[in-house]
Amino acid sequence: MTIGLEHFLVLGALLFGVGLYVALAKRNAIGVLMGVELMLNAVNLTLVAFGRFVESEVALSTSVFVVFIIAVAAAEIAVGLALAMVVYRNRDTINVDRVNLLKW
Amino acid sequence: MSAWLLAAWYDLRDLSGISREITEWVASWGPEWLASAVSGAIGAIGILAVIGPTLMILIWTERKVIARLQVRYGPNRVGPRGLLQPVADAVKLILKEELVPRAADKWLFFLPPVLVFIPALLVWGVLPFGPHMQVADLNVGVLFLLAVSGTNVLAVFIAGWASNNKYALFGAMRVIAMTISYEIAMVLALLTVVFLTGTMSINGIVLWQQQEDLILIVLLPMTALTFLLGATAELNRTPMDIAEAESEIVAGYHTEYSGMRFGLFYAVELANTLVMSAFMATFFLGGWWLWGLDAWVPSWIILLVKTSLVYFVFIWLRGTLPRLRIDQLMTFCWKLLVPAGLLFVAIAAVERTLLLEYAWDRTIALPVMAVINAAVTVAVIGAYARVTGAGAHRAPAGPRMARGRLGGLRAARQLAQAPSGSD
Amino acid sequence: MDGVGHHLAFWSLAVITVGAALGILVSRNLIHAMVMLILSFIGVAGLYLLLSAEFIAVVQILVYVGAISVLMLFAILLTPRAARDNAETAMRYPGLILMGLVIAATVFVALETDWGAVREEPVAESARIIGQSLINEFVLPFEIAAVLLTAALVGAVALARRDDEDIDAHEQSLTLEGREDSGGSS
Repeated sequence: MTIGLEHFLVLGALLFGVGLYVALAKRNAIGVLMGVELMLNAVNLTLVAFGRFVESEVALSTSVFVVFIIAVAAAEIAVGLALAMVVYRNRDTINVDRVNLLKW
Repeated sequence: MSAWLLAAWYDLRDLSGISREITEWVASWGPEWLASAVSGAIGAIGILAVIGPTLMILIWTERKVIARLQVRYGPNRVGPRGLLQPVADAVKLILKEELVPRAADKWLFFLPPVLVFIPALLVWGVLPFGPHMQVADLNVGVLFLLAVSGTNVLAVFIAGWASNNKYALFGAMRVIAMTISYEIAMVLALLTVVFLTGTMSINGIVLWQQQEDLILIVLLPMTALTFLLGATAELNRTPMDIAEAESEIVAGYHTEYSGMRFGLFYAVELANTLVMSAFMATFFLGGWWLWGLDAWVPSWIILLVKTSLVYFVFIWLRGTLPRLRIDQLMTFCWKLLVPAGLLFVAIAAVERTLLLEYAWDRTIALPVMAVINAAVTVAVIGAYARVTGAGAHRAPAGPRMARGRLGGLRAARQLAQAPSGSD
Repeated sequence: MDGVGHHLAFWSLAVITVGAALGILVSRNLIHAMVMLILSFIGVAGLYLLLSAEFIAVVQILVYVGAISVLMLFAILLTPRAARDNAETAMRYPGLILMGLVIAATVFVALETDWGAVREEPVAESARIIGQSLINEFVLPFEIAAVLLTAALVGAVALARRDDEDIDAHEQSLTLEGREDSGGSS
């Protein structure tokens, strides 16, 4: 059996699922951000696999997409961590279920 | 200089012939994957064969040269002229007890001495020792160098964290703060080189210097300086060794490491310095090429000589300059190296456009550009010295890093000014 | 891709990547989870190499391993009194169910769809092609990404920065706290 597109897609799906769980269920804000990063990585992996195995009009446009995703992920993580810092400074915690002033 | 001699496996000027012979022999009877595995293994063994003995010599050289710079004798008891001192050091370190603090994070504590070795060995893979002597000529070699040498900081952080010691953690935080600042300066420096040469392959950069018949340090002095200082910061060497400043935080991130674990950190520091010297020599001093001499002398010997030169500069810096404070280091990086790096990226872009699009005559344009770049370098450094008052005698208005809970000068001053208590 | 090397590389990298991701899921310690995340990033970089995307692989190491994880470690250090565990909220079981559903649906789609023509040989010189398309076809997104990064930089600094008065008041309180006779903070 040759290693083909499906292998990478299934791997990406597994990574995405784990990342989704981590992002949804973890209590620590930094843990949630880890989950988000994992999901982005899964998507990147899938895109690169498509770029490798599927013929397209513009060569490697998927890789360009991945570069943009990485740039946006870097921006997102910087702002996300800054938010976590602000929450920590005001509430002395970064547990997402204790940041509930606007909830009720 | 006939062609058959150049291609022969026993030609010392191109050791890759040996690897090629063995790989072809394996491929003649074995499967394809075995041949590629064998060729990879040969490269790895070759690199280890270079690093291992060189490290032993370097320990002795560094101590001896620093001693001479500081008007001492240095090691001179073990063996002739102290040459066996590294062996004695290694035996001592191996025999010492390896302490593990009770409060340490057991799993993470064992990882860092091994982890730091991985980037230190990986970067050798893209270093060209000769026109064909390179384990992997990646077309993104420069990025690979930056990426892999940047991961070093993670091992250091884990070491500082797992020790569960406040000095170790201070050291780790200082390393991170300094490395991510100086990495930007280094990226800008290498970006300038890539702009000008038009390739990210490291061998391609050497070939460009060969083709243009000039070494890049002449064309880009500021960039070479930035790379040298960025490498010094990344390697945690004096004058930028605030991460392990023994007068402030014991030994920084490896405070709790003893015996051979400390020995591994020490060896990696030297190996990293060696590889950074080699890359400095490759990017800015022409690598394995030296105005036609490489046709007669083995190219790897030329590279080793240049590497030793740069290494000597590193030792020289270490023996001469005192350690800087962290706010001085940050100021230096963000106010001089990064803006100057941006300026030189722009200059390199303009120069490349002039050379390529407008097809200026290289024999005239390149010397003129070298003069202009040197003038800009002098102007930038002069302006920085003028603006910051040349440093040493002018203390900052307030402490910049040590603020808030950590205390710092301002807190100390307030404490002194407040009226004394009832007692 | 059917050589022994490809099989070995793919399966070991897949085990490393998914195993490390599961390590984040089960780890009880935030720093351990972080180390697992870094391992997972490195595994994904290896998979990129396997897919002949050297540029993306190196950028992955440079940005994720070299910058993003260092930033996250820094954030963990700068929140010293927050809990360092990696526990779950009440969303644990809904999260597990959703994870199972998403994985099942994605795997089903991945295996059932006909993805069309398969390219046998990878595109060579990926870095050059990516660079050229970044300044030709995708020049507008490229500029927007630059603006976005600048905005994120400014935003992060604006969020994380404290005013000087804050610091002064903070230090004042610390100074007073440290003295026995002045009795308590401001």
